[in-house]
Formats: sequence, structure tokens, C-alpha cells
Amino acid sequence: MTKLYDLTLAVRSKNAGVDQVTFDIIFHDRATYDHVVASGAVTEDSICDLFSIRPGDISHFVYFDVANAIKFTLYRPLPNGSPGDWDILGCQQYGPLVELEIPD
Amino acid sequence: MSPSRRDKLNVMISTGHLGTAPSGLESFMAAIETMPDYLVADGGSADPGPVYLGENIELGHFVMEELELFLTESRKRNIPLIIGSAGDSGSNAGVDSFVRKIRDIAAEHRIPKFRLGYFYSEISGDFLANEIAAGNTIRGLGHYGDLTPEEAHAATRIVAVAGNAPFLKLLDAGVDVIVAGRCGDANFTAAPCIHAGFPAPLAFHMGKMIECASLVAEPFMGKEAVIGTITQDDIRITPYHPDQRCTVASAAAHSMYERETPFFEHTAEGTLDMRACHYEQVSDRVCRITGARFDPWETPTVKLEGARKLGERYMGIAAARDPHVIRSIDAAIEWSRSAIARRFPGEPYELHYHVFGRDGILKQREPLRHQLPHEVAVVVETLHPDDAMAAKITDLAVRMFFLARIPGVKGTSGASATTKLPMKYLPGYEWSINHTMRIRDDMNLFPTTIIEAGV
Repeated sequence: MTKLYDLTLAVRSKNAGVDQVTFDIIFHDRATYDHVVASGAVTEDSICDLFSIRPGDISHFVYFDVANAIKFTLYRPLPNGSPGDWDILGCQQYGPLVELEIPD
Repeated sequence: MSPSRRDKLNVMISTGHLGTAPSGLESFMAAIETMPDYLVADGGSADPGPVYLGENIELGHFVMEELELFLTESRKRNIPLIIGSAGDSGSNAGVDSFVRKIRDIAAEHRIPKFRLGYFYSEISGDFLANEIAAGNTIRGLGHYGDLTPEEAHAATRIVAVAGNAPFLKLLDAGVDVIVAGRCGDANFTAAPCIHAGFPAPLAFHMGKMIECASLVAEPFMGKEAVIGTITQDDIRITPYHPDQRCTVASAAAHSMYERETPFFEHTAEGTLDMRACHYEQVSDRVCRITGARFDPWETPTVKLEGARKLGERYMGIAAARDPHVIRSIDAAIEWSRSAIARRFPGEPYELHYHVFGRDGILKQREPLRHQLPHEVAVVVETLHPDDAMAAKITDLAVRMFFLARIPGVKGTSGASATTKLPMKYLPGYEWSINHTMRIRDDMNLFPTTIIEAGV
């Protein structure tokens, strides 16, 4: 097993509008990207498990070949900056992805 | 500027959020000395949350410094300057504040007379309620339902997100500087490109690619200058920090930055379609991009952003190190919450407990929220319409952690380390309007004004 951190150029999250937060996992090269996609470790199901969310909370999920990237977008529990929301830019929501285990 | 007169247009940008930090001076000077056709800057965003729109607050501490640099250096070279979403929220007060600052800077530096154009983006709840009554459905984005007249009236302040129209009007009038109210991030770049006769798909795509300046290049650097070059056939991105390169990887990665999908971007004019885009390295530092398409709306449609005030807000912090307290932190929160409910029945307060060390950032989405930390901090966030009541409730809610009755705890002198007094914070707001509205020419949503500045 290898952690996602060791396979990527960037793992990040950021608001996409006030009601959604989007996640970008960008790989070093095509071979690594292909390997992770084929591993099935990053899918709509695995994202639901990791974040304890329902499929309906995912507004978009795409394997984005041009950028060797996996990208998905979640609805936020609260619009950004509402009382009760601390991550106003959505920029730390990716934290649990960093150490996600990818089968070798 | 007809297309016959120029085969390319260079647009320079050095900041994706004017005023939050100073632009890198070296790359700024290197880029502006190439004599770009326009200098542009993004003055704001909905990203920092609704309170800035609601309260008319500017969040950056370097606004004056950046405006001074942009205005003095662009005027020296007769390069038009365009600033989008002035004052963070693009409210009328934000526009007025930027216009005032530019006039002050121009006077102070004795800049020769120039023409300054600006436009407003605010729209009233009455206007929206009348549109709804007239049958113009105002559709919610994401989880938002269609707007009701009550919701329109309840918003403290509302802006419409402008497309190219007010920019083109001011550019047609030949102004030297534009200060825009709330506008699309791509539009302050796309508008001058379209005005000069370049194709809309490439113009919008270039606007999207350079809106955050050096974030389009690698390695990661904020606030450094880049230049976007548009022709009839392609766009090229050139970074001016000597250690940065715009690569196929960095450009493609930026094309998906802070957007729901990497393929589509909605503007007031239509949808930018990037599915067929091609990225190619044309030199060590420069990336060439082709293939954008653009599908115009049948009816122009603007996004609306509205902030509604929820109350005055205070925060306080309670922190624990005793493992028994940490294990029982949910019971301690419940103890605090129930104490407030008993003491202030019927009061219109709102209480939030942010448990840092456990799930303060991700809340219910945190996979490790059941793992016990060795130390934990609970930030209590309280809202109430009355300032003194908000302070009082916060104080009691925090004190209840100190006084928490947790079975088995042997620390009998206090169950948490706490702040002595609650801290006043910005009032609480929510994005109550996140909608789109079909518009007509006669609405005149973005009224423009042209004045003279300088000496």
C-alpha cells in the first residue's frame, strides 16, 4: 500500500461557489494516474465511505485524463461562512485524502 | 481597437484577490515593462463568506498599496487598468471606496488627468420581489430552491454578478480605468479581449486561466505576475516570476481550480465548454491553449448573491487536557447546551460548538472523529439579535465547560481551561441568495458612470 500523498503533485479542496466544495487529486504522471484509477481506491463509493456521506452529496465526480487528475465536488453541509462553518474557503476539507491507502 | 489593427492582445494580472497581500514587485515590474495592452485585477469574491457583503467590509489590509502600484505604473505607460468586484463583495460601497482611493492616489501622485469609469452591481429585494410577482422565476443553485418574495426582502444586501455588458459600454467610451462592482471572475479579462475583436470562447477561457495570476503556473506561488496573450486562434500564458513555468500540467490543473467541473464554466453570457481544450508546451515557460467553445444563453442570465444577517456574534474557547474530560467531551457539550436552554428559554439564540482536535474542520465528515486526541479545544460560537445577550450566552456556555459535571473526573478545580471573557466577532450572516435570474436590456442592472481623475 502507498499513501495518496506519495503519488500526487497536489491534493487540494476549495469552494466551488458558496454551496459546494471541490476536490482535486492531481498525479505525477499518466502511469500513476492510470494505476490509481484502476485500483478502484478512489471512486464515488470510497468517497462516500471516507467522508460518511451519501451519493446524493456528490454533485460531480470525474476522471479528468487531460490533467492526470481525479476531481469530485460535494455539496457543503452549510453554505460557506454560515455560523457553524469553520472552513470558510473549503481549503482543508481534503485532509482525509492525504493518507488514503492505494493498493500497489 | 479593431481586429485588423492588432493580431494579439496581452493582458497582465498579478493578483487573484486585490489587497490581501502585496503583489510581488519584481515580477510585476518585469511584466509591465513588456507594455501589455491591459492590466487587470480581481478585487473580490464570495469565498470569504457573506459577512463582507452584508456589512460592507473590505477584508484586505494591502488594498491601498496595491491600488497605488497598479495605478501609478499603468498610468505612466498609458495602459488601461480594470479592477473587478471592487471592495471584496462588489457592493456599491466597495466600488465607491475603490473610486475614492484611486482619485486620492491620482491626486497625491499628481497623475495627469484620466477618465475613470465605474459601475454598480447592487440590486434591491423589492426589485427581485417584483420580478417574481411578474412571473420571472429566480432559480436556486445547488440546494437552494426558487427565490420567494419573503427571502428577497429578508436579504440585507444583494449583488448581481455582471457579465461583459457594462465593461464593453465603458470600453466603448474609451475610459482609462474601470472599477467594477460584482462581476464574473473571467469577465474583467474577457471583456477587453472581445472589445478588441477576439473570439468569445478564447476570451472567456483566457479570463478563467489568468484570474488567479500565478496560480496557473508552477511551482505554487501567489501574487506574482503573468500575462495572457490572445490571438484569433489560441491563448498563451507566460509567467514573469523567474522561477515559474506555465506547463501543460499546471494549466490543465488550473482549468479545474475552484469549479464544480473541469469542463464547463457559466457566465452571464453563456457557458464556456472546455471539453475539447488542448494544452501544449511551446517553450520552457509558456503554455498554449486551444479548443474552447462557448454556448450563449438564449436569454442572458445573471447570478445573484445575497447576504442575510442572522445576529450579533461572540466566540469563546474552552480547552481540556484531562483524558477523562476529553473522553466525555460530547457530554460536556450537552451539559453546556442544556444549561443555556434552561436559563434562556424562548430566546432566539443559535449555538455552535467547534471541537478542534477532533472534528472542528470537517465536523460530521471527519473519518477520525472517534479517535481520542490528547488535547481538545471547543470554540463556542453564539448568535443573538441583541449584542449583550450574545455576549452573555457565550460567557455562560463557555463557563459550563469549566463547571461541567463529568462522573469520574478527579480534577475537582475545573473541567476545562477557558477564556475569561467571550470575544466579539463579526456579526453572523448566511448566503440567503445563491440564485440565477434571466435579465432584459431594460433592467439596466449595472449603471455606469464616467468621471475625471488626476490633475
